[in-house]
Amino acid sequence: MMPEMVPSPPTGGNKTRPSWRERFGHVPWFRRYEFLGGLFLLLLALAFFLPPFGRPQSTLVWIEIAVYFLAVLFWVGIILSDIEKPNWMKAIAAVLIVLVFGWLFYQYSGARWDKLAHAFFNWEILSATGSYGSTTSAWIELLAGLWLTLQLAFFSIIFGTVLGLILAVLRNLHDPVLNFFLTIWVDFFRAIPIIVLMMLIYYAFPYLGITLSGVVSGVLTLTLNSSAYISEIFRAGIESIHYGQVEASRALGLTTMQTMRLVILPQAIRVVMPPLASNYVAMLKDTAICSVIAILELLKTAITLQSWLANPTPLVAATALYLLILIPMARFSSVLENRMKARGVSRALASKKG
Amino acid sequence: MGEDRALMIEVINLHKYFKDHHVLKGLNQKVYKSEVVAMIGPSGAGKSTFLRCLNRLEEPSLGKILIEGTDITATRTDINKVRTEIGMVFQSFNLFPHLTALQNIKLAPINVRRMSEKDAEERGRQLLKKVGLQEKANAYPDQLSGGQQQRVAIARALAMQPHMIFFDEPTSALDPEMIREVLDVMDNLAKEGMTMLVVSHEIGFIREAATRILVLADGCIIEEGTPNEVLKHPQHSRTQDFLSKIV
Repeated sequence: MMPEMVPSPPTGGNKTRPSWRERFGHVPWFRRYEFLGGLFLLLLALAFFLPPFGRPQSTLVWIEIAVYFLAVLFWVGIILSDIEKPNWMKAIAAVLIVLVFGWLFYQYSGARWDKLAHAFFNWEILSATGSYGSTTSAWIELLAGLWLTLQLAFFSIIFGTVLGLILAVLRNLHDPVLNFFLTIWVDFFRAIPIIVLMMLIYYAFPYLGITLSGVVSGVLTLTLNSSAYISEIFRAGIESIHYGQVEASRALGLTTMQTMRLVILPQAIRVVMPPLASNYVAMLKDTAICSVIAILELLKTAITLQSWLANPTPLVAATALYLLILIPMARFSSVLENRMKARGVSRALASKKG
Repeated sequence: MGEDRALMIEVINLHKYFKDHHVLKGLNQKVYKSEVVAMIGPSGAGKSTFLRCLNRLEEPSLGKILIEGTDITATRTDINKVRTEIGMVFQSFNLFPHLTALQNIKLAPINVRRMSEKDAEERGRQLLKKVGLQEKANAYPDQLSGGQQQRVAIARALAMQPHMIFFDEPTSALDPEMIREVLDVMDNLAKEGMTMLVVSHEIGFIREAATRILVLADGCIIEEGTPNEVLKHPQHSRTQDFLSKIV
């Protein structure tokens, strides 16, 4: 009876794993619902006998907690490693392990939760007005900082993109002398840390007779830095366009610049959108570096408020604001990337059919 | 032959080197108005290079090329202006994938000839009708079959109202069932008196439409004559050898 129970091994492209029943003729005891259900109830009951709140003083109690956690981990592990368990059950198991860990941490870490809330999540201090001789609340200050951060990012992105595009187009002229200088430009600004460049421009340039305001220095630094990266992105995009496109354009009598403007760039921009978007996310994050030259953008505002209020809550609020803006942006750049891949696939299929 | 007609192309002692590789070895040739000159020969003979030198997609290394009396190898010549009089059709179509069929056709007339949007649109639709694709005006290249793409490419070349058209292996990248539709369009063009230079191995088309055949091998024109002479009574042993392989 054994031979027909053993299925033939899965072929190359077949991704579905055989079930336990197919592989061994039976489901192992620890994967049965009877066992898992019983273990679940047992763990639930044992939860009531865990030690009381507070950091345990004896090793024995530590071991007790560790064993309990390992038992839960074992239960979750069995479910997650089982091809036959439904997805909703795996989802619950995954959430459960996080909750149990969080709960155990809350109970036994010995953290001073009340102090933590006062220090890092002190919402009164954020919304109170006049607490440091100012007429506005810390919240308003932070939002003003966020607004400046967005402006810094906006202008850096605009100037950086224009400059990067110009550099990439010049690079495409394949002039050896020009290319030499372009390579130096790109290498220099990719190599120099943003924070160093920013300090040089803000603190050292005045000695050369060039005094720039903080905001101008910040935007200039981010523009120069990003022009190097963006020009490389555009260059890759331009080079990805088949040379036949150039030949067809030139054969029609279009000039080099018309070819670039009407044929190459419209195609290249579609290719570079995803890497460009993720570069813009990075640029918005890099605006935080402007805090070193006393620009009151989001981070600098938060740091200043923190010292005025003698409380780090503004920093946490600033973090929340950064995430609020950046997570959707990061998500958007991933969506662009996936859409690009999907389009590539449909193109390939269409040309095959053709 | 055809000495009374206008001289369209005159090639004098054309040489082309790719680094050390001597691709064209001193070609001399005259093409008159309304001639359909087919170029055949084994791969690597220099047919495509010859064609591409004539509108300077490849820079000639040595020699002179006169297009309607203008020396295109001279530095003073505005090559873009000369190119507007020469249509070019490529093996791989090279349509602009971000533009529709109609937009592909309109692009050069509007931007090079400074034709008005309305005139270009009208002319574009006429040309699409001429190549039998009037209903595909708004289709993008990747929605068209290879044969349809090549017909749009021919329409795009015609939109500039060129005085001559070069075809660089126009059917080599096509599936067999699509070759006919492209050759039909080319056939009609030949009948209308268009001056055409065609690199192709479609012997049926050449016999039918060509007024002259050039046989190239190793960068030289080893034989030339009417289709009848060259195809039926090839003189050169390499021509005989080549024809026996492809017919």
